[in-house]
Amino acid sequence: MIEALLLLARLSLGLAGVLGLGYVLVNRLTPSLTRLEQAAAGFGVGTLVITLWMLALSSLELPFTLLLVLAPPVSLASGLYVGQHILGRRRPRKPDTAPPPPPASPPCGLWDWLFISLLAVLFLFVTLRAVMYPMWSWDAIATWGFKAKVFYLRDAVDLGGFEAHNYYPNLVPLLLSYLYLWLGQVNDHVVKLVFPLWGAALLMLLFGMLRRLGLGRTPALGLTTFYALNGVTLITHLFIAYADLAFTYFALGAAGFLYIWLKGGVSARILPLIALFFAGITWSKFEGTPLAASILLAAALTLLWLRPPHLARRLAFLAWPLGGLLLGYLPWRLFALSHGIETGSDHILGFYPQQFLKAIPALVLALINPTLFGILWPTAALAAVLARKKLFTTPVLFLALFLGGNFLAILLAYAVAPTSPFEFHLYLRATLDRLLLHLAPVAALLIGEGLKEHLRLS
Amino acid sequence: MNLKPPTHPGPYRLLRVVLVLFGLQLAWLAWLLHKDLADLTRRLWSRTWGTAVRQEDPFYRWLADLSRVIPPESTYLFLDNYEAGKEIEARYHLFPREHLLLLPASPPSLMFHVLKQHQVSYLIRRDGEPPPGPGLQALLDLGAAKPLNLPGTGQVLRVDPQLVSGGFYD
Repeated sequence: MIEALLLLARLSLGLAGVLGLGYVLVNRLTPSLTRLEQAAAGFGVGTLVITLWMLALSSLELPFTLLLVLAPPVSLASGLYVGQHILGRRRPRKPDTAPPPPPASPPCGLWDWLFISLLAVLFLFVTLRAVMYPMWSWDAIATWGFKAKVFYLRDAVDLGGFEAHNYYPNLVPLLLSYLYLWLGQVNDHVVKLVFPLWGAALLMLLFGMLRRLGLGRTPALGLTTFYALNGVTLITHLFIAYADLAFTYFALGAAGFLYIWLKGGVSARILPLIALFFAGITWSKFEGTPLAASILLAAALTLLWLRPPHLARRLAFLAWPLGGLLLGYLPWRLFALSHGIETGSDHILGFYPQQFLKAIPALVLALINPTLFGILWPTAALAAVLARKKLFTTPVLFLALFLGGNFLAILLAYAVAPTSPFEFHLYLRATLDRLLLHLAPVAALLIGEGLKEHLRLS
Repeated sequence: MNLKPPTHPGPYRLLRVVLVLFGLQLAWLAWLLHKDLADLTRRLWSRTWGTAVRQEDPFYRWLADLSRVIPPESTYLFLDNYEAGKEIEARYHLFPREHLLLLPASPPSLMFHVLKQHQVSYLIRRDGEPPPGPGLQALLDLGAAKPLNLPGTGQVLRVDPQLVSGGFYD
């Protein structure tokens, strides 16, 4: 028992390192965010900085040790903190022109407590489910968890001697390796505590964004609960060691904050943070680059369609997320090139129209299957109908373009997937829920817009 | 969320419908997860978690025995279908041993090439597989692979790559 407690304490220190580092960086970058938002965003930024630094260590042929992994990023954060503190004394900070976050709500009512209780039960379940069971799911032991074990045991990003989609980006494996460094061993059940924590950060991020859309605390909390407890897909990813939860988190951070910026809910000072979320997208999964590009395209098209004041300047601001995309993409591509890691061709070999046609009903069925996502997607469709008047006249267009564009991208991805006709339905079953999972929090934002409209009309 | 009765027809009706459907969905979710919940409760009660969960799997116990037999610097060949999902477990648990995979029905040419090229010292096959394929049969006929006495859910053979000679064709 004492040993288990010690392991938990060591893991907590490792997680606190990630969170603390990220929190300081986000706090320095975007002081106008609430503490809750800074903590939620800080978790992702901390993982991004630490794992990219670990990749840099391997490029420099330096082995992973706690000191080498932690000292430089912590020094950077401390330097930033101290530097801005000193500069801030000399030069007063430019006031943030963005609207302030919604005022604090009155004490929690019955509905608030109901939603908080539902979320508490969910997190009790997924936390126990994560830490009591070792890694067992396919991709966890075939890819993400396996690489984490290899990197930890070899003290480096060393992919020699095996083939486990070696060209995939390594944010999740490196984060697990970093936690193994803290644990001093490969303990693949205790380490999974990071996934419920990541889920909590995702929900906090969503809650903060819904508040910035103008929803009161209770509707925002209700909608966050609605998102979390609709179907088993998200719940399952809160306790298995896949990269999809991290990917979903970064996708929400990038698309959600960009949307709020388009709406004028935050100032342009949020853009460096958005850039880091874009980096997280491309550094966590192979399909991150097209997804990040789809967010950028949706934002550019929305600006061009709506033609807001200072259009050219606002379009130029999109260089930030583009830079973030490259920050997440290039280091790993350069590392892979310099180490002879070939990008797999298992994703694109040709165009198969029959697969495209088969994927259409499969996608529709997945969207309405209550086991996968409950009533989330039908409610998002309803919200789109409710917000239809705003669809072509406000930045809600961005949400519609992002979701619609990615549905089409999913169908096209299936059309080029090189699977045999006998296995295609299995391929769909194994991947479709995850692809929709990445988009689901953005659907929750669309529901937020619909709910706002509904509450206004009522 | 103010759910007071509407002052004019229609308000919140849609929201209430969605909330009722969500409530039904929560019941469906609870049903879907009830087996997981029961197992979780049982494990909490009996204090069987972590490594103890793995120990319940005979294949894992056999792999643990294998890891005591196969030295960490060795290379082994696993004969299986990737889709069975067992070789990925073997690779995960037997790391840092170098892992190779071939189909059970591999011909002698391919198998011998792999054994020679990678200096394979052990060959693993799971229980429930059909009789040895042509590659393994040829290896056994050659006397280059000898079964080890390691009872479990599969069979492990010691391979002597020096005895694997070339000069053969399918």
